[in-house]
Amino acid sequence: MALHEWHGPSDGTMSIVYSCPNCGRQIAMLTNQAETQIVRSLGVKIGGRSDVAAPMESLRSNLAMQREGVETTRPSTSQTKCPFTGMVNEAFARDALTWSDPALARLESIPAFVRPMVRTNVEDYAREQGYVEITELVMDEVKAHLEM
Amino acid sequence: MKSYHDIASDGGSNVLEQVSVQRKHLEERLADVRHIVAVASGKGGVGKSTVTACLASALNRKGYAAGVLDADLNGPSMAHMMGVQDHIPYSRDDAMTPALSHGRIPIMSMDLFLPPGSTPVIWQAPTQRGAYTWRSMVEMSALRELLADTHWGTLDIMLVDLAPGADKLQNLADLLPNISGTLIVTTPTAVAQMVVGRSITMASDVAQVPVIGLVENMSGNTCRRCGHEEALFTGNPAAHKLAQRHDIAYLGRIPFDARLAYCLDEGISFLKDYPESTAGKAILSIADALHAWLDL
Repeated sequence: MALHEWHGPSDGTMSIVYSCPNCGRQIAMLTNQAETQIVRSLGVKIGGRSDVAAPMESLRSNLAMQREGVETTRPSTSQTKCPFTGMVNEAFARDALTWSDPALARLESIPAFVRPMVRTNVEDYAREQGYVEITELVMDEVKAHLEM
Repeated sequence: MKSYHDIASDGGSNVLEQVSVQRKHLEERLADVRHIVAVASGKGGVGKSTVTACLASALNRKGYAAGVLDADLNGPSMAHMMGVQDHIPYSRDDAMTPALSHGRIPIMSMDLFLPPGSTPVIWQAPTQRGAYTWRSMVEMSALRELLADTHWGTLDIMLVDLAPGADKLQNLADLLPNISGTLIVTTPTAVAQMVVGRSITMASDVAQVPVIGLVENMSGNTCRRCGHEEALFTGNPAAHKLAQRHDIAYLGRIPFDARLAYCLDEGISFLKDYPESTAGKAILSIADALHAWLDL
């Protein structure tokens, strides 16, 4: 079976479709929030780990609010906080986030001089959350997050 | 039909291998720590953290290399009590730097990662609903990292200040099968001793961690002017009888001393200023009993 496509993550879940390269038969793996969180709790990397974990990587990346000045462990595209998204990103060699058309239009409506900063903030947030596509919903989340 | 153990692969994640690497890393990190002693009690508010902080200082004064792990992830207090709450851990090579308290006692605590003030520990998740299903797993993972990813150096003894609850020692023993022993802390109240009795049984019968002995905290109040001693709690059931019932050593009693509470609030060493006080002598005596038991 080969990875074929994926949907999500959306609202904490994602679907990954595998396809048989010989006959085309497809099966799908569906994740749910609780299972994903339990896997994340183990501090392991789905899909295998070739790099060495950073010191207190799991603690620092999982704490919702931490002290200013503590080094953050910024996840790479393949090391998102969602272990399954990380695996999928790596499998599809994805290193860029995609923007939905409405989200892109909303970004374009922002004054040009602040647009790069907004784009960076939104993409950083999306990567941290394990999103692979930036939608208007994600932009709303970022806005709410920054207003906290 | 195949059983779980017949499955040749987990799809390439090698979760078991990753967990095994985590355990090996933990063992390697603690290879230079001679003894790990858990300070436990089923009951909250009996003074586990007070006893931990004071014993670390006492052992340090006696020339032993002592370190402290604050394993109370949701109610961390050791960093404040030992005056290092402003330390910000940073990574150096493969681990993070602990805070260094009086006499260069290394301390690691969740407190050092949290914003100052009243921010609680909140773990990131798509939703906080249903967190009861995974929170304890995240906490064990965090505890493992606090142990394995700290530059402890060479220690004669590491004191682990546990959160209240009879189960906490068993969790730690799962993570660290070679715990040297546990100190159990109680106060002279019937309720505390009822709960602590269960913790002693849990420690010896279930977790199978040797019980070094019982420490009685807040045991009476001595007048600083005339030396008159009176009980703090009515009834005042003798903790040494609890120790007798469970056939464990009674290590001593630490009387209530407002100066001790003040020192811990301010993060300064009580033993440095008041080694000759009744409480100071009691702490030093318990430290003597501890290092004699450990054969340091």
